[in-house]
Order: sequence, then C-alpha cells, then structure tokens
Amino acid sequence: MIGYHVRAGMAACALLMGLSACSNTPAGQEGSGIGTALRQAAAEAVAARRGSSEAPVAPRTPQQRAEEALRLNPGPLIMVGLENLGTTQIMALTGQNGAMRTYMTPNEQALILRGGMLVGTRGLGNDMSVTEPQTETLIRNGQSGSGQRILRYYTGDGLETPLRFDCTTGPGPNPGIMVENCAGHGVTFQNNYQVQGGQITVSRQWGGPALGYLTIQTLRP
Amino acid sequence: MRRSRLTRQLMATTLPLALIVGSGIGIATADPMLARNMSTYGMPGGIDTPTAEAMAEGTLAATVSLSDYALRSNVLFQLTPRLTTAFRYSRIEGINDARNSGSIYDRSFDFRYQLVDEDGWRPAIAIGLQDFLGTGVYSGEYIVATRNITPTIRASAGLGWGTLAGKPRIIDAGDEGGTANVEDWFRGGAAPFASVSWQVSDRLNLQAEYSNDIYRAQYRLNSGALVTQQQGDTEPGRVNLGLTYQMGRSYQLGLYTIGSETIGAQFTVALNPRDAVYPSGLEPAPAPVRPRPARAADPEGWSGQWSQDPTAQPAIQTALSNALAGEGQILQSMALAPTRAEVRIRNTRYVHQAEAVGRTARLMTRALPPSVETFVITLVERGIPVSSVTLRRSDVERLENTEVGQIAQASVLSDAVPYPGDLVRTPGAYQRFTWNLGPYLATSLFDPSDPFRYEVGAEARASYEIVPGLVLSGAIRQRAFGSIDKEAPGGLSPDEYEAQDSDIAGNGVPRVRSDSRMYSGTTSPTIPDLTLAWFARPTDQVYSRVTVGLLERAYGGVSAEALWKPVNSPLAFGAEVNRVRKRDFDGGLGFRDYEVTTGHVSAYYEFGQGYTAQVDVGRYLAGDVGATLSVTREFANGWRVGAYATETDLSAEEFGEGSFDKGLTISIPLAWATGQPSTQRVGGTLRSLSRDGGSRVRTDGLYDRVRDSHATQIYQGWGRFWR
Repeated sequence: MIGYHVRAGMAACALLMGLSACSNTPAGQEGSGIGTALRQAAAEAVAARRGSSEAPVAPRTPQQRAEEALRLNPGPLIMVGLENLGTTQIMALTGQNGAMRTYMTPNEQALILRGGMLVGTRGLGNDMSVTEPQTETLIRNGQSGSGQRILRYYTGDGLETPLRFDCTTGPGPNPGIMVENCAGHGVTFQNNYQVQGGQITVSRQWGGPALGYLTIQTLRP
Repeated sequence: MRRSRLTRQLMATTLPLALIVGSGIGIATADPMLARNMSTYGMPGGIDTPTAEAMAEGTLAATVSLSDYALRSNVLFQLTPRLTTAFRYSRIEGINDARNSGSIYDRSFDFRYQLVDEDGWRPAIAIGLQDFLGTGVYSGEYIVATRNITPTIRASAGLGWGTLAGKPRIIDAGDEGGTANVEDWFRGGAAPFASVSWQVSDRLNLQAEYSNDIYRAQYRLNSGALVTQQQGDTEPGRVNLGLTYQMGRSYQLGLYTIGSETIGAQFTVALNPRDAVYPSGLEPAPAPVRPRPARAADPEGWSGQWSQDPTAQPAIQTALSNALAGEGQILQSMALAPTRAEVRIRNTRYVHQAEAVGRTARLMTRALPPSVETFVITLVERGIPVSSVTLRRSDVERLENTEVGQIAQASVLSDAVPYPGDLVRTPGAYQRFTWNLGPYLATSLFDPSDPFRYEVGAEARASYEIVPGLVLSGAIRQRAFGSIDKEAPGGLSPDEYEAQDSDIAGNGVPRVRSDSRMYSGTTSPTIPDLTLAWFARPTDQVYSRVTVGLLERAYGGVSAEALWKPVNSPLAFGAEVNRVRKRDFDGGLGFRDYEVTTGHVSAYYEFGQGYTAQVDVGRYLAGDVGATLSVTREFANGWRVGAYATETDLSAEEFGEGSFDKGLTISIPLAWATGQPSTQRVGGTLRSLSRDGGSRVRTDGLYDRVRDSHATQIYQGWGRFWR
C-alpha cells in the first residue's frame, strides 16, 4: 500500500521537479525542507491577498454581511472592524469559559471578550495575550474614576510582555457612551464603550501598538 | 529552586520599549546610543573609522562592502548591550602572496566594548580591537567618544593605533596567525581620527570623516626582508565621505568615497531577534477551553462509569488524535483512567514546546470526560519520552486567559515516568514512513579562491520508524549544476590526488577534513547519509543513541552516545564514541583506508538568561587529543548565536593557517522570519578554516533534542502557553 503511494507520488513529483518539492509530510514539519515552508508561506500570503482583492468583486456592505451572517448562524455574533487594516469581519462564538467568550472568524482568527470588553486576540500576528483592566467595573457602572490597565503581548523575543497604562474613565460627550483615556510609555489612547445593563454592546477599543483600534459591535448577544 | 528560576525566566524581559511599542509612535525611551549607519568594516561607525555606538542587543547584521581597496563581507553580532563582535572575510586588492593573484583573502575578528553610554554632557565612550586574532592587514586598536550635537548631528573623535594610525603592523609571513598578539595592542604610536554623521531624514544619513588609514600592508618575509605593499592602486587622501539610505526596517544601502579617487558601495541586512514581523506568529487561534458541565448535568461522566465501557478509550483516543493532528501534534500513545489521562505527543509544528503543551491541554478539555482531573502531557522526541507536564484540569479551566505565570506556577514539570502499564499506541495515526523529494541548494561561503559557491540538484529523502525510537533514514542526491567543484588539497588535481591514494598529508597529519572538497562536484548520484538509529532511555534521566551506517558525507561507521540530563537540572553530562572509516570520494557505498576511533566526554551547563556553555574533551578525527569550548547565546524565540574554539595537541604548524579551529554558529527559526508555525531552522557554521585538527564526525546529537523539552527551554518559551 505504502509502496504504491510512493510510486504514484514520485511520478507526479518528477513532473514538477525543479519547480517544487513533493512530500508526504505536512508543511512546517521537521524534515520537509525550507523551500516547502517558504512556498507555503508565499502561497498563504497570495491566498490572503486574493481574498482581499476578491472582496470588491462582490461588493457587499458590512450591513449586508451582518444580515447574512445572522440568517445563517443561529448563535452569538459580533462584527469587528480592524481600523489599521481597513477590514471588517464577522465572528461567531466558539467557546465560553465563565464570563469569557471566544469569537472566531472562519479562518480561525479570534477575539476574546468579557461582557464586550476586549481581553485578548489570537491569530492576528500581533496578538494581545491578555488584558487586565482595573477600570472595568467603573466602565460597566458608568462611573468616573481611574485605574491601571495592563496589556500583555506576545512579543518578538518569545516572551509575554506587559505594558502598563494609567487610565481615567468618565461619560463621553454623547449620552450613554463611556470614555476611557489611557497613557503610558509615551503613548495615549482612548477607548469608547456603549454600555447597556452592564454589557458593552458597541465599542472602539485599542488593541495595541501594532494592532491599532478595533470597533466591536454585538450583532446577537 | 525551580520556582525561583522559573519566575526569573518568566519575568525577565529586557526588550527595549521601542520594539514593543513600535517606532511609528513618538515614544520616549532610554536605549543606549544606537548606530544609524554601518562602516565599511560592518561595524557602527563612520566610513572607515569606528564610533562609540552600538546596535540593539542581539542584532545580527551582515554587511558587504566593495571598493577598489577591498571586498569585505562582515557579520556582526551585538552580544550584550555594550559588547559588539564582528567576523570579517575580505578580499584585499593589490597585495600578492605566494598565489600571486594580485589580491589576498583574509579573515578577521573585531571586539568593541562601550565603556559608558552618553549621559548629559558626557559622550559615549568605547574601546575596540580590530582584526585582533593574529597580525593582519587590518590590525589596530582604538578608543573613541561619540556624542549627539543636535538631534540629527552626531560627532565622534578617537585615538587609533596600528592601521587606524596609519602605521600598519608588520606581518610575519611564516606565522600561522589565529592567536592574539597582546603585546602589540595599543602600541607603536597613536593618531587621532574623527567623524560626523547627519541624519537628514528618516532614511538618509550623510557622513564625513578624517581617517589615517593609508591602506598599506607590511610583511616580513622568511628571508627577513621587509616588504611594503600598497592596497588598491594608490594611497588615499585622509577625508572620506559617505551616505546611507535605510530601506524598510532591515536593509541599508551605502555609497562612499575613500579619499578623492575611490568610490565604494555597500549593503547591510540587519536583523534583531526581538523584532519579528509577526511577533505572535500567524498560526490560527487555538480551540478554546471547554469547561465541564455541572455535575448534575452529566452524572455518568463525572462518576467515571464511562471507563467500564471498552469502546470509550478507542473513541476518545481517535477523536483526540485527529484534533491534535490538526495542530501538528502526533498522539503517539495515551493512557486513560477515570481521573487521569496521559498523552504522549510529538510536536512537529511549534518552535516552543510550551505552545504545543498549551494547545494540547485545551484540546484535552474538549475531548475527555468530566471525571478526568489530572492531565499529563508527555513530550516525545525520536520516539522516546523526554519530559512530562502535569496540570490540573480545573487550573486549565480557571486560568485560561490569565497572565501566563499563573499556569506556570500551577504546572509540574518532571522526567517522563512510565505510567503503570496502560499506555495504548494510537493505531494508524502514527505516520511511520515519511518521504520528501525536492530541489536542494548547497552553498559554500568564504572560500579563499571564490567566496560564494553553490550547487543545485535534486534530493530524495525518506525515513521509516520501525518502532518508536528505531529509525531507518537516508537520502540520495543528484547534482544538476553549480560552482562547487571537486578539488584536491596540496595543489594537486583531483585525479592526481586520487592516484596518490594516501589519506596522510605531507606533515604526517591524517587528511580528515582538508580534502573535503574531494567529496564535492560528483556528477553521479551520491548518498549524503544512510543510517539506522536507535534512540532509547535506559533510565528516567539517561538517554542513549546508537547510529550505524553512512553517518555523514565523509565518514561511515558506528556512533554511540549517552546523555545524563535530569529535566530540571541546568547541568548535563554526555559521552560519545565513534568507530568510523573514511568514505570514498564518489559518495557511494565504498570506503577508503583511513579508520579511527574518536570520542568525547561532554559537560553542558545552562547559565540562565539565555547563555549556555559546553565543554567536550576527547580524541578528534585525526587522532589528535584536545578540548572544545562552545558558548551560545539563545533567545526565548529560538534564535541562537554561538562561538566555539577547539585546541588539540597538534602544533600550530601541524594545524596550519589559523593555528586552531574556531568558528561561529547561527541558527534562526524559520517561523520567526515568516510568521508561519514551523520547527525548521536556517543557519550554519562560519568556521575560520576547514583543517584537519580538532575535527569531529557530524552526528545527530541528543542534547539539543532532549533539552528542548526540559526546564530551561520549556519555561523560557512558556509565554506562548496560551497562544
């Protein structure tokens, strides 16, 4: 059986020699050659580009996509805009651990939210590992006050690295909106939350230096 | 002991804030004075002169600089925030040696230490040694001060000796070089030099300098006569000008003039291990933890009754095995009891074993019945269990999405202990036969007569794991084309050398590596390696390997190794014995006459903060006896940069040019560069020269494989547990 597979595989490979490598090991696995991994990376990069350039072919507004997602998926959904990338994605609930909810896109990029508060991201390349916001209660209760916000990141050195920010909360200019201003490490950012019954339904939250701002809207709680 | 080391590792981040927060945002940081441009010697500097600047810690930079005076290929490593090291390979024009080709090739090493950083009125001050191993054309020493005059203008001034003072040292033509001539340092008269650099924009930097280098070389011939040769065509003027242009975060292009007659160009690639394009990697999000239902909702699952059902384990094991396969984890075997589960996994995807463990733990919460409270995740390398991480399921549930130190404190790392009797192999899920067919590219750098050589061809590689730990593997290569050709030592043609049929050089030293070019350029199919290897673990803390076959391109035979490495110990000991015979030059199955027994005892130590050291003492391939010291700096993200030196009882004359074997090793995880998860690495060894003394057989050593899953390494990468 194995022998047959190998012979069939070899024949196909021989045709492709010089252009590509063939293997029965998954890409990224030890032993499958650097070329394989680089090609894989390139192929994925190309696929990602194609994905974004295909978008205009079927022009749909975020509103139309939200409506379609709500029709197809009966579970909790959020719509997330990444301002730095100019993309909007629909994410579906894939797991809940206590108050912590993990939402994912079909290509397995994830946000972790606690009652609408951004706690972590996964699969975005510049992920926030976890955030510990002391100001969370103030925001949910619509109170003015101050507290520290610790954002932890997976950094390029392979460690989880904390960044500490000092934040103040208070009502924003528009009714029903809480504003949180944070400063630290020479950086300032402002988070905006629309709070209803202790839950954050719509928000614009800073995800980090490389990630920038995320707008998060609850489509179905 | 373990806890405090662990805490230190987890808390230790020396990351400059600029790298975390990104340079796009105006942030105030107190980094040391960082270089803005590279000199023609591949060091922070003006054009030819040094400055007191440094690179960001850990930076690895390669600069190629070309002018009528020389082609210099430089590799720089910023070992500590203040210590800069460089290796250089140069083709120096206008100088003749015995080959009479109008140029010579020369290797050199530099050190620079920044004594103080800029502080208020005080400039940064550095002291440096240029080409300090042996007396070379570029040998010189300096003390230099650098200070910012305005936010964009930076000035340096210093005192130089040797070449930097325009007083080149006299090179003894009979000397083999390679050892430091301390008595010459900072002697023979000093002269001042100075440079200024102007950062015109984010990308453009202009430099001007006053340099005393007259580009001459002085030799004392064996006859005692003194000969002075001019590098290039003419002696340059004293003023040099340059500009550099930064492209992206990694590349820099430079143009410069040496005096008024000569124009040069250079290109730099600088990488910092901390500055990954995708710091968190691009791998998909992990499956989240699935908390257990309330007891009342699943009384059977909580009671452990399910374990009475003989179909339970196979069903669970198949489901978990499939889920793990999607994460690049091979479930070799599993033991399942009502309250405890052990999985034995082989990580084929993630650089950090902690990430493999974290993802496996989360999948276990999704696959196992609620009564299973203890998770044991055992990491397997080459079929043998190397370490076990034990976690309480309630901790995994409770600590998901918390700071990573918490799950570290709640976990226990131990030597892999066989669980009584009930490990079940995963049927079918175990991929025993793997093969790969593709092109290969071999490169040979820094060769005296041609600094860049390559060979392209096709390679078929296969391995078959007969039982876990017993692996048959091999490869066949067919060269297509390239510039790496068959070459013989001692000025002979390959045919003449073959006809001579001797493996002993004229000075009586066996030719164990100096004829390694004879193995190149074969146009018929070759077998790079073909071995049967047996990996085992005779006791909980001792690992063993026996390899039989064609071990490497030039040697075949038997290799046996044992390694003592307790999981939480920074100290390890090893021993290796090889009985090998030199292979035929055609890369086939035949052997030559030279046969030798070689072996070493080794001690390994992990100092923490990423520093490791290794000492090997034993008998080398040429029958010489001696020791090798290796020191490696490694980062949590898997970058490794190391240096080694071997001293044996061969005299410097017997050894030849370079006097003793030394070199640099570089290894970078591919995942760091691409963001795609992979255990593959790129890198290699920069040796000073390929000689016969201090050479070893290349074997598939145990230490790095075992250590990857042991305390220092696994906790260094623990930050990725929840990734």
